[in-house]
Amino acid sequence: MNVRAQVLTGLAAATAAGCIPVQIQAPDRPIEINLNVNIRQEVIVRLEGDAHDLLQQNRDLF
Amino acid sequence: MKRARARSSIDFLGPMLLGALLLAAALAIPARAQAADPVVAQARAAGEVGEQADGYLGFAPGAAVSADVRSHVDQINIRRRALYTSRAQQRAVSVNEMAAAVACEIFQGRIAVGERYRDEGEQWRQRTASQPVSMPSFCPS
Repeated sequence: MNVRAQVLTGLAAATAAGCIPVQIQAPDRPIEINLNVNIRQEVIVRLEGDAHDLLQQNRDLF
Repeated sequence: MKRARARSSIDFLGPMLLGALLLAAALAIPARAQAADPVVAQARAAGEVGEQADGYLGFAPGAAVSADVRSHVDQINIRRRALYTSRAQQRAVSVNEMAAAVACEIFQGRIAVGERYRDEGEQWRQRTASQPVSMPSFCPS
């Protein structure tokens, strides 16, 4: 009886699990691709205007 | 109704005066901050101090740098770092990236002939009339 109950429970669980669609979890953090040189240069191109401003506005430091 | 209008114009006077004062103060600060530090300018011309590819000033190897020059350079570097940090936060980039972007600007046009500078490979060089400044590889060409 006890064993049968266990088998039944197991079967029920397996059936239930079969009905649940497979869930793919998205990673918590974004995938990091290490392309330091390229990313860096791209960022620096984007910062060109800011760099120019900083130099113009802080003549005492540059 | 007339009284209300008169009162509202008086209410405006206070903030306007304050605004004018703030504007005057804002205009006065950059005007005072325009001049380059003469102590550092002299040390740069003498080849004791130079720009580095990391966006900061450094001391050339073998140069006898006075304590005065050293403290001026340190102060400038501290203030540069504060500047890079605040702008980096605004643009969501790293402080080093902001500093590198400024270094590109400096290397492009702020190193005079005769001045020494430290390149990307941490080698000290001197800008000569015939040789252009060696640009860091991360700078846009």
